[in-house]
Amino acid sequence: MIALWIILGIVVVLIFFIIGAYNSLVGFRNQVKNAWAQIDVQLKRRYDLIPNLVETVKGYAKHERETFEMVTKARNLAQQASSTAGAAERGKLEGELGMALGRLLAVAEAYPELKANQNFLALQEELTSTENKISFSRQYYNDSVLKFNNKIQMFPSNVIAGMFSFKLGEFFEVIVAAEKEAPKVSFT
Amino acid sequence: MWEQIRSNQVRSVFLIALIAGLLLAVGYFLGLYFFDSAVGGLVIALIVWAIMSLVAYFQGDSILLGMAKAKKITPDDAPRLYNVVEEMKIASGLEKVPDVYIIDDPALNAFATGRDPSRASVAITSGLLQKLTRDELQGVIGHEIAHIKNRDVLLMAITAVMLGTIVILSWYASRFLLFGAMTGSGRRSSSRSGGGGAQAIVLIVGLVLMILAPIMAQLIYYAISRKREYLADASSALYTRYPEGLASALEKIGGSKQQLKSANQATAPMYIINPLHKEGMKAADLTSTHPPISERVRILRAMTGGASFANYNDAYRKVHSGKQVIIPKTAAAGIGAIGIRQASLAAPGELGLASEKASDKAASTHEVSDLMLRLNKYRTVDCECGARWKIPPGFKDNDVLCTRCGRRIRL
Amino acid sequence: MLCPVCHQDALIVEYQNIELDYCPACHGVWFDAGELELLMGSAGVEDFQRYLEGIVRAPEVETTEKKHKCPACNHKMKKTYIDRDNKILVDVCHVGDGIWFDGGEVQNLIKELVEKSPEKGASQGVLAFVGEMFKHQTD
Ligand SMILES: [Zn+2]
Ligand SMILES: [Zn+2]
Ligand SMILES: [Zn+2]
Repeated sequence: MIALWIILGIVVVLIFFIIGAYNSLVGFRNQVKNAWAQIDVQLKRRYDLIPNLVETVKGYAKHERETFEMVTKARNLAQQASSTAGAAERGKLEGELGMALGRLLAVAEAYPELKANQNFLALQEELTSTENKISFSRQYYNDSVLKFNNKIQMFPSNVIAGMFSFKLGEFFEVIVAAEKEAPKVSFT
Repeated sequence: MWEQIRSNQVRSVFLIALIAGLLLAVGYFLGLYFFDSAVGGLVIALIVWAIMSLVAYFQGDSILLGMAKAKKITPDDAPRLYNVVEEMKIASGLEKVPDVYIIDDPALNAFATGRDPSRASVAITSGLLQKLTRDELQGVIGHEIAHIKNRDVLLMAITAVMLGTIVILSWYASRFLLFGAMTGSGRRSSSRSGGGGAQAIVLIVGLVLMILAPIMAQLIYYAISRKREYLADASSALYTRYPEGLASALEKIGGSKQQLKSANQATAPMYIINPLHKEGMKAADLTSTHPPISERVRILRAMTGGASFANYNDAYRKVHSGKQVIIPKTAAAGIGAIGIRQASLAAPGELGLASEKASDKAASTHEVSDLMLRLNKYRTVDCECGARWKIPPGFKDNDVLCTRCGRRIRL
Repeated sequence: MLCPVCHQDALIVEYQNIELDYCPACHGVWFDAGELELLMGSAGVEDFQRYLEGIVRAPEVETTEKKHKCPACNHKMKKTYIDRDNKILVDVCHVGDGIWFDGGEVQNLIKELVEKSPEKGASQGVLAFVGEMFKHQTD
């Protein structure tokens, strides 16, 4: 009789453990999903801003056709990939778009009239902020993926993860040339 | 993220318990003198405290913002400020974007309020908004968001309420005691016999306590506040990944001579720098609500290795050439290497007109003051001569005389 | 801003990116220190702080005129002459928030502008600007 109670107790504890571990895995997975959705919102915002920005700069800097084409092409590629590609492929394309945008803003520096244009300044602020938000939400997303993956790989939650076939999350790395060469900030 | 909050909470809980002890002691002696019953005094102290707590919990943020005459803004009013708040919300992982307020004051300061992270506000003076570059603004907002995220705001509110209760109770008690002593009509006179000596001692102890309690409570309040500032600075560096932004903002704020009009003793610790005291005091100074600005700047500037809490601890040690750490080890470990990003090029002001030309400088200066006028419902009319008139909402006439050219402009 | 004399909301006039506060009732003008700095900056005056300190430290003038409170810091301002000829008596904030010109002072300024070219000196630009902005204040 006592043995039966003990076995029953173990089973109940086991069930509670499985439910708990499963729920926490789902919780982590949802956090990853939410974090990804947050990045997606910002990336979409960037696609929307670019045509406006290109048009505004065009009005002042007519001879920079090459740069405009490069930005537009990078934007279209990134946007097309946004519905199909995985995090790694998108990271590469978004990195290229970011670089093209940097080129465009550098071009704008050479046109003082453009830099005094209220519309341009407002667009530039929106773009700067969107870039920041992409980078901050990427940071948050990668933190979430790290936590989720740890949970999947470490004992004992890995057993539950295997039972319900949870897949590892994919990190989102935007490859930017400037970030690779370890920036030095000068305090002046 | 939770470890550093918890470990800080242990220290804070101890200090709060001290203040609570003071509050009870004041109540105890109050009861002894006026009702012949210590319990009665304790009950009164608790009732006053409970009422003040309820008010602070439900109305605290509106009272504070109202006292500072802060005006709520929308994203359209100040796009850059709002963007920066949204950026720091994302970086900190806060659930909700706090409400954003501007205080119409040339002094340079900012504060955060709200009872929990989902109902919080950040407020910044118009003077600060005008003076800071985008990077600096990000550093300041990061610091304020950290206060919200780390629940410092609630902690300081709880402590401020207890401090306020102590101040009120001991103020009334000491007035009555002095009055009673002068007229010789104390409630406890001849009803008890014999214990004259003991009674005198109790009287003196109580009187001393009534005088010292508010001061002691204030010192504890300040001690709690100082600890929180370092953590908020470190968090800001972590969120922005650019410690120099906050460092140079603090430097600008510290260099300003203007005092905030709407600050007082109780609200002082809420601000990014103490709005009442002046620079030049030591960290050990018990009466300062904040560590000295120069020290906070030096620590941030010493963060050359990266932007993590571990880097902040290293920098703190470098500046103090000691072994202490300011952020608990558990919090500093395990976050991993976090690099420092590059400076952004944006200049001060809402639009960041980057120019040294005097006319551009003037234009960007008025950007923020014009924003304040819009928030205050001023109307703007342009005269053909080039003068621009800004009319307050209470102006009743149908036209205004342009004093420069003599034209009458219809409103 | 509230007029320190009549305590009503003042109008604000902006010209060439410089702002002045003007009370339509008493014709007084408040020249804020920040705006003074901008004006001097556009006129190429380098050391604005020294100019401001010079005014703040200038000797107090004994007068029967009523003292006014600074519209920025609410402390009593002091009466001092701002021009070389000691004709234009203004109210200056003790901590340098700005300068208040009474309605009558502005009138004097304009008269002077009409009669002769304005005096030379550090205050010249300031006085000329105020005079220019308010030469038509009665029609
Ligand atoms: Zn006109
Ligand atoms: Zn007036
Ligand atoms: Zn003043």
